[in-house]
Amino acid sequence: MGPYRFINREFMIVTYETDRDLLRQAVPEPLEPNPEGQVLYEWIRMPDSSGFGDYTESGIVIPCFYKGEPINFTAQMYLDDEPPISAGREIWGFPKKYALPKLEVCSDTLTGTLHYAGQMVAMGTMAYKHQVAPGGVEAQAKGMTRTSCNLKIIPDVDGSPKICQLVAYNLTDITVKGVWLSPARLHLIPHVNAPAADLPIKKIIGGKHFISDLTLPHGRVLFDYLKDA
Amino acid sequence: MKKSDVKALPSMPLQSPTYPRGPYRFFNRQYLVISYKTDPALIREALPEPLEPAGDTVAVQWLDLPDGEGFGAYSAAAQIIPCTFKGEPCNFVSQMYVDNTPPLAGGREIWGYPMKYGKAVLAVNADTLTGTLHYATQSVATGTMVYKHDAFRTDHSKELELLSRTQVTLKLIPDIDGTPAIAQLVAIKFSDIKVHGAWTGRARLELIPSVNCPLADLPVREVIGGLQMVTDMTLPYGKVIHDYLAK
Repeated sequence: MGPYRFINREFMIVTYETDRDLLRQAVPEPLEPNPEGQVLYEWIRMPDSSGFGDYTESGIVIPCFYKGEPINFTAQMYLDDEPPISAGREIWGFPKKYALPKLEVCSDTLTGTLHYAGQMVAMGTMAYKHQVAPGGVEAQAKGMTRTSCNLKIIPDVDGSPKICQLVAYNLTDITVKGVWLSPARLHLIPHVNAPAADLPIKKIIGGKHFISDLTLPHGRVLFDYLKDA
Repeated sequence: MKKSDVKALPSMPLQSPTYPRGPYRFFNRQYLVISYKTDPALIREALPEPLEPAGDTVAVQWLDLPDGEGFGAYSAAAQIIPCTFKGEPCNFVSQMYVDNTPPLAGGREIWGYPMKYGKAVLAVNADTLTGTLHYATQSVATGTMVYKHDAFRTDHSKELELLSRTQVTLKLIPDIDGTPAIAQLVAIKFSDIKVHGAWTGRARLELIPSVNCPLADLPVREVIGGLQMVTDMTLPYGKVIHDYLAK
């Protein structure tokens, strides 16, 4: 049972601009995608996660609005550990699949890779700690309190939808140990079952690297498609 | 995406649903089933009420699934506890390990198959049909059976009866606030079963204690024997036979 505490959780996030029409299709109503067409491609190292162990994750987060309020929608997630896949899907509706992501420092380069079913589907590189982010760890910790949401779908045993909801959660007890901005590049390779490249890269905005402790609590239903739609 | 399209999605994520709609047909689905006697008191603990134990024999099985519609190619291992529900004989699937996300997620989310990620292999090694299971890098089970020692037979009525028996799973899905959203016993009956071949023979089974893959919690007291089967069969949707949340 949760909540789940993460220690030394390390993020590399490459922000890029994509096609606005494709972004609209990838975001479920009633969420509205950000008008700038920005997408966050993330790698996350989680060496110490209560209940889940040691694993790595990679995926796509889309900044959105819900009733005018900013909210992050998790569109795709790939990871190499089954308990957080099952718990992630079944409790919060994280759209998780099994794959092999990696985040490591290779000489002067913070490097993220993602392999799905034997094939490379994403590769991100970021210069290593070139500049401390403006506002430092306090501003980063504040930014991470932003509400996130997922589309939780669980079928009934007869195949009809049993749960079809937008669920929201907020991270708590956030301590940021360091945050850096640096130049970054991102390469996405088309793959049908890990379709990160379906939101193609038009322009790279930049890379952010940070290390934090945080707690993932349970959440709340934001919108119920079976009742409200 | 429009709200009406969201409701029509078969599974998460929106951009590439993990599994399509069923039913799901399997071709050349091969089994190694090793039946063994264990401690009846431990069976009672492993079996959720209102299911009732039926004897002291359980089974560990390996499955090679080279062609599963919607799922792909993968392998599985499972522990099966024969039991009764309101007097009807059925098989409770108490543990299951697979190495592929769509059947793992679909198995848990649709039917409540208790699937975890584990690396099962079913292979013919020289003269031995061999099943192995690794969980979190460690070996947790090894089953071996003689390879097709008995003559080929065309009467597969016993195997058809076995494969047609109702499977029961315990489906547990939490709500977003951590309370249970679904807590049900689900009944599953495979359909359109074809048995291409079936063989019985001597077998051995080794189960190694592991906390997150506790097959050995039902220890092997005496091995009854092995059963090898090659089949085609269809996994349809299931039905709820007991709802723990209903008042």
